[in-house]
Amino acid sequence: MSPISEIQIVLFLLFSAFSISSALIIVNTKSLLYAAFSLVFLGMSTAAAIALLDPEAFAFYSVFHVLLYVGATVTFLVISLVIFKNLELTGEGSRWAIPLTAIFGSLAVIAVLYVGLTEYRGTFEPVQLSLGQVSYILVQQYWFPSLILVVALAATLIEAVTLARRD
Amino acid sequence: MFLPLIGLAVSVILASIGFYGIFNTKNIIRLLLSSEVVLNASILAVFSLTFFSGNTYSSFLLSVFGIGMALTEVVVAFAAIILYYRVKNSLEVA
Repeated sequence: MSPISEIQIVLFLLFSAFSISSALIIVNTKSLLYAAFSLVFLGMSTAAAIALLDPEAFAFYSVFHVLLYVGATVTFLVISLVIFKNLELTGEGSRWAIPLTAIFGSLAVIAVLYVGLTEYRGTFEPVQLSLGQVSYILVQQYWFPSLILVVALAATLIEAVTLARRD
Repeated sequence: MFLPLIGLAVSVILASIGFYGIFNTKNIIRLLLSSEVVLNASILAVFSLTFFSGNTYSSFLLSVFGIGMALTEVVVAFAAIILYYRVKNSLEVA
């Protein structure tokens, strides 16, 4: 693990704040199109935060996150939302949502910080990812999940073509 | 241990916001977008927890499978939403 610099901490805090504000926009804005665009910023800031955790070990996944998640998933969402008309929200959900989320979220944050600051003893260092090792593990240990993922992505492709035909 | 702990705290906050979005709306697309917030939070939590377990490859592969399945989930969910909209002419959940 590379030593953590001050600029790394500042950037991590900035991207964390950016991702939290993007998430707040997603759940609060009236326009679903703006919410979908905020999901783009949330994905990118999450990728940046992951990379900043340990640039040597996680930078590769960060690029993967931007390419696959932001580039495919969120772009699909944004483009698909364009086909709907009158996207302004009208209905409201449970009135207990705000107090329940505030209470349980605060308790969870306090628990995480307490356990992390008091109980944690050792320090593990993430190793730098090697593509050869990743492919070896994929083929040897995770071949069945990989097969499921390939089938699912193929089904997704067929479904996207079916949706695009609009009949 | 400074950054991973903050990462875990941020992921918990993000997950709380996502769950708030899920419980606070009846719109199907908003439900889908809020679940994506929870997904991002869980991925950030997985990478933060790597510092507690030391297994980089498992967290990487878990996140890659998660992202792939999220892509599938979004497309399948959107197909279902389009069908629902054609039948009900509305995006509100009863």
